[in-house]
Amino acid sequence: MSITAETAKEHAKDPAVLCCRAEEGTVIQAANLEDPAIFDDLVDSGLLNLDGALTIEQVLGAKLTKTCDSLCPLTADVLEGVKEIEIPAPVKEEPKEEAPAVEEPQAVVAPAVQNVPGGVLKIHIGEGKDIDIELPTGLGGGSAVVPALAPAKAEAASAGIQEAEKPAEEKVVRSLTRKHYKITEVKRGPETKIEGTTLYIREGIEQECIDSQKLVLDLKIDVITPEQYHTYSETIMDVQPIACKEGESEVGSGVTRVLDGVIMMVTGTDANGVQIGEFGSSEGYLDENIMWSRPGAPEKGEIFIKTQVTVKEGTNMERPGPLAAHTATDHITQEIREVMKELDDSLVTDTGTFDQVRRPGKKKVVIVKEIMGQGAMHDNLVLPVEPVGVLGAKPNVDLGNVPICVSPLEVLDGCIHALTCIGPASKEMSRHYWREPLVLEVLHDPDVDLCGVIFVGSPQINAEKFYVSKRVGMMVEMMDVDGAFVTTEGFGNNHIDFASHHEQIGMRGIPVVGMSFCAVQGALVVGNKYMTNMVDNNKSESGIENEVLACNTLCPEDAIRALAMLKNVMLGEDVAAAEKKWNPNVKSTNVELISNVTGKPVELVKNEQSLPMSQKRKEKYD
Amino acid sequence: MKELQFGDKIIRMEGVIVEVHDGCVGIDLKGRLGYLKIPMRMLITDYPLLVGQEVAWNMSFIEQLGPEANDKYVSNLDIYNRRQEEMRKANANNKEVEE
Repeated sequence: MSITAETAKEHAKDPAVLCCRAEEGTVIQAANLEDPAIFDDLVDSGLLNLDGALTIEQVLGAKLTKTCDSLCPLTADVLEGVKEIEIPAPVKEEPKEEAPAVEEPQAVVAPAVQNVPGGVLKIHIGEGKDIDIELPTGLGGGSAVVPALAPAKAEAASAGIQEAEKPAEEKVVRSLTRKHYKITEVKRGPETKIEGTTLYIREGIEQECIDSQKLVLDLKIDVITPEQYHTYSETIMDVQPIACKEGESEVGSGVTRVLDGVIMMVTGTDANGVQIGEFGSSEGYLDENIMWSRPGAPEKGEIFIKTQVTVKEGTNMERPGPLAAHTATDHITQEIREVMKELDDSLVTDTGTFDQVRRPGKKKVVIVKEIMGQGAMHDNLVLPVEPVGVLGAKPNVDLGNVPICVSPLEVLDGCIHALTCIGPASKEMSRHYWREPLVLEVLHDPDVDLCGVIFVGSPQINAEKFYVSKRVGMMVEMMDVDGAFVTTEGFGNNHIDFASHHEQIGMRGIPVVGMSFCAVQGALVVGNKYMTNMVDNNKSESGIENEVLACNTLCPEDAIRALAMLKNVMLGEDVAAAEKKWNPNVKSTNVELISNVTGKPVELVKNEQSLPMSQKRKEKYD
Repeated sequence: MKELQFGDKIIRMEGVIVEVHDGCVGIDLKGRLGYLKIPMRMLITDYPLLVGQEVAWNMSFIEQLGPEANDKYVSNLDIYNRRQEEMRKANANNKEVEE
């Protein structure tokens, strides 16, 4: 297929190959050339050899001195009038040399970025990588970092610039206070109560849980202490914080009380013993299957109140089944919440406050979070009365999966009760939202103005996917944002709407950065020209769904990369194209670049290699 | 990670949807070549799902990664099967009592 002049311009530095037979004397135009997008496959299969091929910008306008067949690479010996253009390296090798691909090649994380008028400092990193970094001057304290990279036009960084333009006042829209209560022991007793740091759960509460749900036939409570981590468990459906609102406060503002050192864990099967989360097979020994300290996962040392719910046979894959298991478990959590509401302030061990700050004048950004809505366990309860509760919440499937705007504080206050589906390594459980790293990172960044978070469901049928995606586009358009993040959990058909969200936002001229687990196994099934800025959430060694709970979910390191990338894109930088195959080095290079510029090391989380694992599994998977 | 030897030999497979649940579908591979049960999100759908609809996908043949059985999976399977067995019995007994 021949290409258009426009495509030729885009691919100016790519090799020139004839798309069809051309006679001697032909003046090469875009229409004579093949689309470089297909070259990788052709080279891989040995059909094409690009050695010595000139670039498209070189050959345009040159005259063929010899008749050539289709798919013939254009070299200097068959052309006359080749344009002399400096090429840094042989064209074929270039993609491998340019290390940063999928992710941000430049890192700009600097305070006071946007209020500096003009004055751009250019940094060039050598080592044949040809990476140009542009970052605004007036870094103030950050100046120590700059010489570390390269001596550059430092004269622009005069102190006067910083004061030249005063930014508009920051505004605290609302605040959320979290009061922490420490729990060191969980026991069963005649009534549910908290004494000191001991939580008692009423004996016999199980029967009430069972009776509360028609589909629940049985419910067992196991209290798992750190000593018992090496116990077999059914698939972990969800991990939830135990929290309640104080007084009249509503989710997203006021005061929230939360228990530290203990979490709720939902597991279950149907009456025939089939796992409720049948495809999320994280069953097995808890300590081998949990990636500790991921935002959605338990911390090592926490006590688990684990319910094992038995639902009516055959309902594990129908909508009411998983919902009943969650609701029955919430019966216990709710009783604990009632007790927490009565707790005395003397038991508070720690208090933290989140401020929702709007920063007028700074780049305005929005976070679009795609949540699953295909049905059954692919569902989420939105905006319950209590943090991560059930009562008062609406399933996003019932809401038609349409986008819903929430405040960042509502996200951090448990406005999503996730039913969570597959796979264990990439699903975002309820606790993930409670500690959502991207929301925290963007909310606390003084250089951007986070206007809110949009949750949008991922329906099953394509037509519905595009229906909701168009609403996302309209919503983002009305927000007049300068940039947007789109995140999704796991992989599968949700990548279709993920791509569509990029298109809907991108076609409105708004820079967009996407975040998803991709790597090897979750490689995107679709793409479009707006999907140029991607951050991969993968942490697993081999780039696959490794069956370790929450291993490949969005972590602070991913949030930092995504934010740095969006800032760059909003400043007009381009992000290098992805390599053909997943390359984990892209991430490490980018992380290094970011920490070089910010002067702050980016701490990377551990992956499944840190867990106890049988030798055989190691051999096979990693 | 072990490279597949025949991973690039991709063949088109067709199947028939034989079960539709809220969270998953069951697919019989045409020609009695097997059965697949997949969660909804791994299926791309343009129309409402119905039993009897035909589907297709590309796949390669499946290769062993090595000769050993993984103890972890063997143990998990044992426990899972045993529990299923127990629960089925208990479930059947309960039903008899109810009747």
